[in-house]
Amino acid sequence: MRKLWSEFNLPTKISVTWVSIILFLVITGSFLPLPNPTEYDPNASGVGLFSPGHILGTDINGYDLLSNVVNGARISILIALISVGVGGLIGSAIGIGSAYIRGKLDITVNLLFNILLSIPNLVLGLALVAILATSADPSTPIDPNRRVFIIIFSLTVVIIPILGRIARGATLSWVNREFIVAARSMGMKDRHIIFKHIVPNVLPAIYAVIFLAIGVVIVAEGALSLLGVGIIDGVSWGAMIGRVAGDFTYAPQSMYVPVVVLALTVIAFNQIGDHLRSQLDSREGKI
Amino acid sequence: MTNHAHLRKDSDVLLRVEDLVVEFKVPGNKVVNAVSSVSFDVKEGETLAVVGESGCGKTTLGKALLQIQKPKSGTVRFEGNELTSLSKSDLRSARTSIQMIFQDPISSLDPRMTVRQIVDEPLWIWSKGDENERVEKVKTLLNNVGLDPELVLDRMSYEFSGGQCQRISIARSLALEPKMLICDEPVSALDVSIQAQILNLLNDMKDRYGLTLIFISHDLSVVKAISTRIMVMYLGKVCEIGPTESVYSKPAHHYTAALISSVPIPDPTHRAQRTPIVGEPPSPVDPPSGCRFRTRCPAATELCATEEPMLRLAADGHYVACHHPRA
Repeated sequence: MRKLWSEFNLPTKISVTWVSIILFLVITGSFLPLPNPTEYDPNASGVGLFSPGHILGTDINGYDLLSNVVNGARISILIALISVGVGGLIGSAIGIGSAYIRGKLDITVNLLFNILLSIPNLVLGLALVAILATSADPSTPIDPNRRVFIIIFSLTVVIIPILGRIARGATLSWVNREFIVAARSMGMKDRHIIFKHIVPNVLPAIYAVIFLAIGVVIVAEGALSLLGVGIIDGVSWGAMIGRVAGDFTYAPQSMYVPVVVLALTVIAFNQIGDHLRSQLDSREGKI
Repeated sequence: MTNHAHLRKDSDVLLRVEDLVVEFKVPGNKVVNAVSSVSFDVKEGETLAVVGESGCGKTTLGKALLQIQKPKSGTVRFEGNELTSLSKSDLRSARTSIQMIFQDPISSLDPRMTVRQIVDEPLWIWSKGDENERVEKVKTLLNNVGLDPELVLDRMSYEFSGGQCQRISIARSLALEPKMLICDEPVSALDVSIQAQILNLLNDMKDRYGLTLIFISHDLSVVKAISTRIMVMYLGKVCEIGPTESVYSKPAHHYTAALISSVPIPDPTHRAQRTPIVGEPPSPVDPPSGCRFRTRCPAATELCATEEPMLRLAADGHYVACHHPRA
């Protein structure tokens, strides 16, 4: 562990520290002695930074910003982890499978990936959420939990082709290596070849992209909320940004706080992903 | 039209290939004839060298024997089993008695595995013995190929040099005690000094395990050191096949003669009598009519363009596919 830490450069160390803090808040956020994020303080509406009782201030309605950012991390990070986890698993399975089997299946899969990738992430996510999260009766909005589920599903669909293409490309570069041909000529079964030879060699490439994908999803969740189709009434970074977007001129801190936290988190995940990728490149060079 | 004059009737023939054709589709609805109606046989204990320049179909032939590359037509009979028509599961077990060693020693080994896992892999696939028996077997194999098991067992494959990787690769291929080893340019990626070591090792292993070798190479000096018979290929066809001595001393095909004359002789006073071949090999998408070598052959005549030469006897056990063989 200490050896791993010493291999990081300064930006990576800062990023790992920041991500650790955020993950700590995801787990412990609701136990910390903070004001209730969904209750407003009638005596402190739109107060600035370092106000008594509200370290990061409040928004125009008197909701405590620190408490909202800390508790919002839970939903935002959970959405990112689940959709990247599920999307990554499905995408990698499709990518590895189709690259291993080749033929018409592979051509079709590649075509589908390219079609999905040709649509900008946000547009694709927006379209899916807009279609799925519309209730038949406009006067009764759909259940918030269902809404979270739909957002996770939509972002998963966005992630599948991103990781699927990486997995497919990495598999293609390994599948014709001679040790795979040797394994086949020794009578190894296809599923053993995939799990013993291909997956371990393809995984590092996927790890590196997973961190980048987490950043993409956090941004997408925020952007969906800003556009009014994300989480509207719950507690998440996106919800905060969406709710206060109109109050920017009266209480700018209510916009700055969630945006800065979100941006730092995305940068930190990207930095870790970049670090993993550069490590991967130097190791692949040796092989 | 049969071209089987050179096939032997003896009972100790281990591998018999008849009229093997391997084709690849290339863009533009064209077909490459990588291996075009090749027949040969290999007796038990023999070392058959397959030589020819790059792109003549040597490697494809090796892979087609193992059915890694499915042949379009023809037969591959090994120990009485017809490999081309076996079901997937029968092929799996039949294939274990033919193993292959590859040209690139580094990419022959999984970079994320230790030497122990690599050499153990064939034993694991076929559940040969329990954990301890397999470890003992792996140690014996490593010892046999000249590696110290205590030093190498738990190291990763990328920590080794090319020559050492090739030794590991040989140890792995011997784990299932195959009858035949197909060596696809096993030394061409190695330093000359290491080449000799690996060739000696292959010869030792041949004696120890009673192997029959098919040795694919473009390097005639390497081939001379190891083979008992030579088969010369040009553009997917057999030009000449015969005992090593006979082919070397009296090459009957003009292509073989040119290949042999191109081998450098390490003697400063020696004046080389080169028989150069002009031009590039024609495209295998659109091979010349008749004899495929005629476009570059010094002795080509009208006949060579119209009629494909069959293999005919040139000397004892030595056959050549040429209308105008060298005297």
